[in-house]
Amino acid sequence: MLTDELFDLVSYRIHPDPHIRVNAEVCVGCTHRACTFSCPARCYTWSEERERVDFAYETCLECGTCLLICDREALDWHYPVGGHGVRFRLT
Amino acid sequence: MSAAKDDSVVAASAQASTPGSFDTVVVGAGPAGTSAALALAQGGASVLLLERGEYAGAKNMFGGMTAYCPAPEQLVPGFWEQAPWERAVTKRILSIVGGASSTSIVFQAESESDRPAVGAGSTSDRSLTGFTLFRPRFDRWYAEQAVAQGVTLLTGCRAEGLLVSDGAVRGVRVTGVDDVVEAPLVIACDGTLSFLGQEAGLHGGPKTEQLALGVRALYALTEEEVNDRFGLKGREGATQEFLGCTAGVRGGGFIYTQTDTLSVGVVLHLDSLKAGGIPPYDLLERFVALSPVAQVLRGARLVEYSAHLLPEGGQKTMPRLSTAGLLVAGDAAGLCYTNGLVQEGMNLAMTSGLIAGRVGAEALAAGDVSASRLSRYGEELRKSFVLRDLKTWRRAIGFMQSDRLFSVYPRVVGALMEEVYRSEGHPKSKILRLGRRSIASALTVRQLISDMYRAIRAYLC
Repeated sequence: MLTDELFDLVSYRIHPDPHIRVNAEVCVGCTHRACTFSCPARCYTWSEERERVDFAYETCLECGTCLLICDREALDWHYPVGGHGVRFRLT
Repeated sequence: MSAAKDDSVVAASAQASTPGSFDTVVVGAGPAGTSAALALAQGGASVLLLERGEYAGAKNMFGGMTAYCPAPEQLVPGFWEQAPWERAVTKRILSIVGGASSTSIVFQAESESDRPAVGAGSTSDRSLTGFTLFRPRFDRWYAEQAVAQGVTLLTGCRAEGLLVSDGAVRGVRVTGVDDVVEAPLVIACDGTLSFLGQEAGLHGGPKTEQLALGVRALYALTEEEVNDRFGLKGREGATQEFLGCTAGVRGGGFIYTQTDTLSVGVVLHLDSLKAGGIPPYDLLERFVALSPVAQVLRGARLVEYSAHLLPEGGQKTMPRLSTAGLLVAGDAAGLCYTNGLVQEGMNLAMTSGLIAGRVGAEALAAGDVSASRLSRYGEELRKSFVLRDLKTWRRAIGFMQSDRLFSVYPRVVGALMEEVYRSEGHPKSKILRLGRRSIASALTVRQLISDMYRAIRAYLC
């Protein structure tokens, strides 16, 4: 699968603190869960078991799609601390 | 590019991080910010250029080609001869993917080799040329030119927000330095989301209807393979845009040629992506599997993946451009668009940055950074090609919001062209009749007339 390869090729300098926080309580009532299929880095996944959206900030590409897609204002969204996060080498 | 080299640059910039007193703070060392910083420095201002990435360009990616514009040559003599671009684009292909076929229009500028500095084989007419380039290399090099002209660059430094007093912007809040950097003038070139512009009340926060998501995969080949597969020689480059390849999501696909790599990706309108339910990387996967794309990618090695948002709302959704003590330029000012034929952003960024820097330097020299004085920036921008083009193409930019353009029409074109070329021993029909047949099942006469009317108003007159 191309998709799995894609994510392995991105370089990061990960900060210990997440730069985006998801308010799971606000999330709960969401019916479209568009973050789970719109995020280009697959940071948001629906957990059947936990019945909630799981979020991993480490592989974030800092594009802002989730911030725009979320219509419940469930995200506390910042860029990573300076010098951290994704680092594009070429593209 | 090694990790070790990157780290040494971070260390060097961190050591130099004792910001004193500056006339201006420019936020974001992309093409707009660096252009603004250069113009300010040349206008006699002391400039601090802040960049949140560990080097200028670390956070930046784009479609893949910047259209030629004279602005950076006014800031760095011999700019286009020195800048680290990859190929001078002389060939533009527009492909419409419909059903089981695709139809392309190919534009190719006549090659001449009388411009050796720019590369043998590229056209001598720059206005017909664009340049493919890698943003992490280009932005870094461009920021170095600003440093050479006296700009203080501080990388790895995120602007947290604005310093505001008495209704005027008077600096920025940062982390890692002294918490605040005071300056009479701030130029926000902080990208598409522009939190600084929002904080200043220049816009009410970006909306899904005005933004697109670009995702891009980079594939390595050899220089000869790129030349062979696109019919290029020397440092000539090609771009190829695709319509009808995004499973009904409003957007398109692209291939850009770099020296020995291809940038391949899709751009998707956010509202349509949200409604469509198909992940962007799945649409990318489908795109690279299309036969015209798979053909040029055979044997290529995947090397990097990136994603970014870009403004596509045109003048209708542009923020206000200035307030007391603050100017915005580049993506932060919504200066990026496609009309379906061209995709422009970096040229608008560099030109708006240049104009912002000049207006800013004059305002500082006059000791007046009031809202009314700084509104001259908007006036200058309206006189330049930047806002004039956005005005000229406002209906075309609006036309890009039409779902039928991305789903129905590519299928109609495909069906029509298949009939034109079909030969099976039956009598052929003329185009209009074939067209009527292809269109009949796809859309109503009313829809067709309405779209034709819109297209004529958008593109012809």
